[in-house]
Formats: sequence, structure tokens, C-alpha cells
Amino acid sequence: MNDGLDLRHDVQDAQLKDRNRENIGRCDSLVLELRDGSPPRVAAMLIGGAVRRERVGRWMATLGRLLPGARNSASAVSRIPFDAVRSIGTTIEVDVLRDDLPSEHLERWLAKHVVCRIPGADQKQESKT
Amino acid sequence: MKKWGEVALGVVTSIGGFLEVGSIATSVQGGAQFGFQLVWALALGTVCLAVLMEMTGRLAAVSGRSYVDLLREHLGIRFFIIPFVAVLVPGFLVLVSELGGVAIGLQMATGIAFRWWAIPVALVAWALLWRGTFGLVEQGTALLGLASVIFLVGALKLHPHWSAVGAGLVPSAPSRDHAKYWYLVVSILGASISPYLYLFYSAGALEDGWTIEYLGVNRVTAGVGNLFGGGLAIMVLVCAAMVFLPRRIEVDAYEQIALVLATPLGRTGFAFFLITLCITCFGATAEISLAGAYLFAQGLGWPWSENMRPSADSRFASTYSLLLLLAAIPIALGADPLKLTNISMVLSAASLPVTVIPLLVLMNDERIMTSHANGWLGNTALVLIALLSIVLFLAAVPLQMLGG
Repeated sequence: MNDGLDLRHDVQDAQLKDRNRENIGRCDSLVLELRDGSPPRVAAMLIGGAVRRERVGRWMATLGRLLPGARNSASAVSRIPFDAVRSIGTTIEVDVLRDDLPSEHLERWLAKHVVCRIPGADQKQESKT
Repeated sequence: MKKWGEVALGVVTSIGGFLEVGSIATSVQGGAQFGFQLVWALALGTVCLAVLMEMTGRLAAVSGRSYVDLLREHLGIRFFIIPFVAVLVPGFLVLVSELGGVAIGLQMATGIAFRWWAIPVALVAWALLWRGTFGLVEQGTALLGLASVIFLVGALKLHPHWSAVGAGLVPSAPSRDHAKYWYLVVSILGASISPYLYLFYSAGALEDGWTIEYLGVNRVTAGVGNLFGGGLAIMVLVCAAMVFLPRRIEVDAYEQIALVLATPLGRTGFAFFLITLCITCFGATAEISLAGAYLFAQGLGWPWSENMRPSADSRFASTYSLLLLLAAIPIALGADPLKLTNISMVLSAASLPVTVIPLLVLMNDERIMTSHANGWLGNTALVLIALLSIVLFLAAVPLQMLGG
């Protein structure tokens, strides 16, 4: 990382993976921390639909607030401290667990209440070749 | 040896992928109205699709990442939303059309109205995606799709003047019905160059675990596969030109389309037409639903793979399930499948610039492509396709109003 980190190119929108290398969304936004007497630093990465809509534009954010479950999606934002970053390459690995993230709420909810109630959710048919 | 098996399989898959409701319907309409004159549009569409598939396949094999993944990262969410919507909306309409294609085939076979078939067909496609792996979806539909070789038999039996067919390879202006002619050109190109096809292909390269060693397989699959697929679509056009043009029949329903094979091959031809229509449209139904789920999952960073059990990637599995369910609704309500097909092919053509132009940047980014970036030949081809896509974007809607 001798050339330094280009936040917009290397971090923003990058695929994030948890400590088990599972996909946990993409870096939807960055949080800068302003400190007295020293330069600002990157404090955290945010993941979540509400953040994403904010970045697309005001119209999209407004539209998002009209959707059912808007309040849920506002609270379903994960804030991943930049200190948790383990490596930055084509993907960014962070030292968190998928199950702890609010932005993975929908994945867990669907798995528990919908997907697992349908037969065959836990296995796949292999092809012959 | 194993690799050549994969090549053969890839080629067969491409044939199956090429021929579906859109290419069958537009080729038949083209042949019925303008004889062999539109062969060039099919040939052009085939070459463009082959180039785009080779590139998105190479992109995936070299970088280990899908086209959608790279689009999101390089465009950022703010601009990614544009290709996202531009692929999703026409893609969904194409999905409805494919489902309609299977339903119409079943209506012709059983006499039960197509709208009753929408939900059962969607359920069977869903079950295949829910239970099957990527290999099963890909290989199963591909091998069955070989039934479409019947169009070659039909064309041979009709004894067209092959030199006249060949002459159709050279683009020419029509002597009448200009708006209709150019409208059909746009529909044929839209049916051949579907964004979902190359998005699916690049995701499929990752599902099949392609690496840099697969660049040869990729080239042959994209090239030869589409050559055969496009060739069969030309045979559909030839059959239609021989059957409909002399009788001055203008095709406006799927029931008529069956005549392209029933005329040269009798009852067997009719049966084969139904089988081919159902299988190829069913395969496309499965592929487009998956392509939609890939678009969401890769764009938003969810876990995804058709090889994972649904409970391990519940949003991905829910997405294709929901897409299939929603697609069944318009058909169940009795929407006209042929009209839907025509509209979705034109919309699909109009959406091309936003998925073609970014490819020009990605294929030349050496951080992604290392030493496998595009050469001058690839770039020239891609620039020409990008220009064509802009023309299609500008012409699609006016032509839909004038000629559709």
C-alpha cells in the first residue's frame, strides 16, 4: 500500500467480507471523524439500504422513506469501524461476524421465516457430470 | 480431455441460450415480411453477442469477479443504479415473455388456455432453481435445447435458394414499409444482444470456477456457440420466409408461428416446434431469473451462488423466486405474449449503451485485466458495438411507435 489508499477507488463501493470470508454487503458510504488539532481520519464504513439511497440522490432517499418498512431500513445500517479492517485488496476483509450486523437483518429474517420453511432449502441436487 | 468436454458443453449452452422466444418471434416476423432481406441483422446481432460474451467471460476468468460486481465498484452506487434499472426492467419483461412462450407452447399442445399455465410453469422453473445446482440448470436446459436443430431440417426441406439467403447477409434498404423494416432490425438486434445473456455468462464463468486457463474455452464457447445459435436463428427466418412470404401471411400470433415447421415437416414438425418453443423458453426463463438474482446480489454485495443451498443465500434465492412469481402474474391475467415479446425486445435494445460502454473502460483497465486487456481488434469491435448501441437507443422508441 505504498501509493496510499484511494478511498473513492479502493474503498467506496468495494465488496466487504467478514472474518469467515462471507459477503456482508458493499461499502455504501464512509464516515470521517473530525478531530481538534489533528487531521480528519476515516472512522467507519457504512452498509445499508438507507445509506445507499442517500448516496444515489435526494429523490431516491425520499422515495425510500415512502416504502413500507422504511423505519426498519433506517435502523438496519451497519457501522463497521475502520479499525476492524484486516486487508484491502479486490475485496475488503473486516474482523466482524455477519450475524452481528444490522444490515444482514433481512438475510436472517428471510432465512428463518421464509426460506427454511420451504422444502429443500438445506440441500442441492448435484448434476451427474 | 475434461476441458474439451466443457467446450462442447459450453457451445451447446450458447446454442440453447441464443434461441428463445425473442429470437424465434422476431426471426419469424422478419422472414414473413421481408424474406431473406433481414439475414444481415441476425448475423450482426450474433457477432455482437459473441464479442460481448467473450469479453465479459474473459473479464470474469481473469479477475475472478463478475461484470456486475465490477460495474458497481467502478461506477459507484450513484451511477450503478442506471445499468441496474436498465437491465432489470427490460429483463423482467423478457422474463414474462419467455414464460408466455412456454405457456403458449403448452396451450397449443393441450388446448388449455395459456393463462392457466403461467403459475405451473413458474413453479417448475422455481423448483429447478431451488433444487438444482448451476451445472444442472445449465446442462439440463442446454442438452434439451438441442431439439432446436429441427429448424435446420425444416429449412433444408423447404429448398430455399441458398444464394438468395447469402445475399441477405449484405444489408440493403427495403423497397416498401421502411418503418416496419427498421423496427424489425431493432427487434432482431434486441433479441440477439440481450444484456441478461452476458451478465449471466460472466456470473456463470465464476459459478463454473473459470480461471485464466479457461480463456481458450471462453473464446471457443462464445464464438462457436453463438455461431451455431445465430445460424439456427437464421434457419428460423429462412423457414418463415419460405412459408409465409409467398402466402402473404403477416404473423401476429404464436399459433401461426408453428406453421414454419408444420408446413415442411407436417405433424412431426408441429410437435417439434412445440417442444423446441417450450424447452428454449423454459431454459431462458430459468436463466433470466438467475441473472436477475445475480444482478441484485453482486450489485449489493450479498452472498450468492446457485451452488449454495437456498438457506445460505436467502436473499439471492428469494430474489429469483420473487421474480418468477411476479413474471407469472401478467401471463396469468392474459397479457398477449407476442405483443409483450415485441415490446421487450425493443426496450432491451434501447438499454444496451449502459452495459456496453462501461465494458470499454473495464476491458482496458490493466489493474483488472493484467496482460489480458483488449487489443486494438477487440477495442475496435467494442467501439463499433457501442456506437451501434447508441443508435439503437435513439431509434428504438420512435420505431416502436412507427413500425410496431
